[in-house]
Amino acid sequence: MTSLSVKKLTCGYGDKVVLNNISFEVESGTFLGIVGPNGCGKTTLLKAIGGIIKSDGVEISEKNRNLFSLAEIAREIAYVPQLLEPIDGLKVKDLVMLGRSPHQKRLSVESDEDNKIADWAMERLKVKGIKDMQSASISGGEFQRVSIARALAQQTNLLLLDEPTSHLDIRHQIGIIKILAELEITVVAAFHDLNLAARFCQKILLMKKGEIKAIGKPEDILTAENIWDVYKIKAEVNKKSGHIKLLP
Amino acid sequence: MRILFSFLLLIIIILLSFLIGPIWIRPDKILADPIFWQIRMPRVLLAALVGMMLSVSGAVLQGALKNPLADPYILGVSAGAAVGAALAISLKLAFSVFGISSIPFMAFIFSIAMVFLVYWLAKNKEGINPQILILSGVAVSAFASAVLALIIIISGQIQSIYFWMLGSFSMASMNDVFTLLPYYLAGLFFAYFYSKELNVLMLGDDLAGTMGVDVLKTRMFLIVIATLMTSAAVSVSGLIGFVGLIIPHFVRMFCGQNYRLILIYSALCGALLMLVADALARTVLSPMEIPIGIIMALIGAPFFLYILRRNKR
Repeated sequence: MTSLSVKKLTCGYGDKVVLNNISFEVESGTFLGIVGPNGCGKTTLLKAIGGIIKSDGVEISEKNRNLFSLAEIAREIAYVPQLLEPIDGLKVKDLVMLGRSPHQKRLSVESDEDNKIADWAMERLKVKGIKDMQSASISGGEFQRVSIARALAQQTNLLLLDEPTSHLDIRHQIGIIKILAELEITVVAAFHDLNLAARFCQKILLMKKGEIKAIGKPEDILTAENIWDVYKIKAEVNKKSGHIKLLP
Repeated sequence: MRILFSFLLLIIIILLSFLIGPIWIRPDKILADPIFWQIRMPRVLLAALVGMMLSVSGAVLQGALKNPLADPYILGVSAGAAVGAALAISLKLAFSVFGISSIPFMAFIFSIAMVFLVYWLAKNKEGINPQILILSGVAVSAFASAVLALIIIISGQIQSIYFWMLGSFSMASMNDVFTLLPYYLAGLFFAYFYSKELNVLMLGDDLAGTMGVDVLKTRMFLIVIATLMTSAAVSVSGLIGFVGLIIPHFVRMFCGQNYRLILIYSALCGALLMLVADALARTVLSPMEIPIGIIMALIGAPFFLYILRRNKR
């Protein structure tokens, strides 16, 4: 089934057009990595799908996203911003529990189910051990995982992440992308590291100046030719391992 | 458990406050004492209501504007309300329709204009600039205070309005309590009704928008609720600042960032603070009264600077 389809999406900020006539589809359960140089529109695309930028042309489970109510769409799509501001006085488990809010009724207290799902989300992201710590006092890598656990607790079919691995050391980068690859739901995430994306994503969407350069399996998309075309960097791709060696 | 304890503490402080004053009331003769019925009881009840309303409205403004320094007094809400109320009093526009007095209504009109002016000044494409928000609040407050002083001088009722402007419960009557009650109930109810949204707004506008919160509408609604409570409080008790700043900060130290708890404890602790401050106001220089607004500014201004400095870190 198609989890997400983008049809002739054109949008931007004010008069400035950032995305120009973009169309693609993502099958349910796919891990799609969006790559491309700075300013090519990765964040804008994620924001348009997430509804942070208003647009027409995004379909969720074959229904136009503008036809969902705010609460309904919050149960379909969860969004992880590039950098969440740490909040003083908010414990890890409380931050994750905020992800349950689209499922909660007003004035109701957390149900057993809410607690169970928040626990499950923290377990998946390996932050259950620090659930009682202050979210503002943990490390950057841990905080990013907590931020993703918050989105996972939202229990959606589609998870959007804006460069979840930037600002992190290589160990945390791999840790997070591995967890994302293991998720059963559809994941669409922007990445900078081509090798990480090639190794863990099922599909790659390569962007260039607000348009789609190519979409498909990593080995078909991340070729020396495409990399040169988009980044103007020479690269060597090892046919056997798929490893991309950049030759600046 | 803690809520129960705070609630009991509040009851005890209310009962004690009934006794304390320039003239002490003996507990065994309280029900026979006209001072209790005519002066002490309305005063204590009014102080408790105003304390709750000001501190809850501070907590709501801090959440809605995502600014730890937001407070109805600092943002010009109180000064705007004072101008509206003073105009209503001096232009003899004080009347009531179906039991709803015109003074809180005028106060509300002026303060809502003030708060949206301040909000509009601080708003830019990315959101609300926290520094400009506070600075515009200060400037708009100063302007409103000048207008207020002008109204007081022109009206010729310098002493009575001036004393009211400094903030005081000394003229409290049961009438004031009843005037305030609908605003109190509606304000606290709607603030609590929106505690879920206040929690989600902590995550920032973009993320809150993806979590089912209509950010702009919710923010406007919350500002209106906070302004409604503040303007009603100001119209009966004058300008009392910093309650809405001190209390929510104090409360967050022990209940964390959960607005469901923050709002409840802010109401309880706000009433406590106001009762203690008012007991001081009527006893320290007895038989002279210190306006409670002065006491709160003496405590509150240093506290504001403390938060400012802590946030800079």
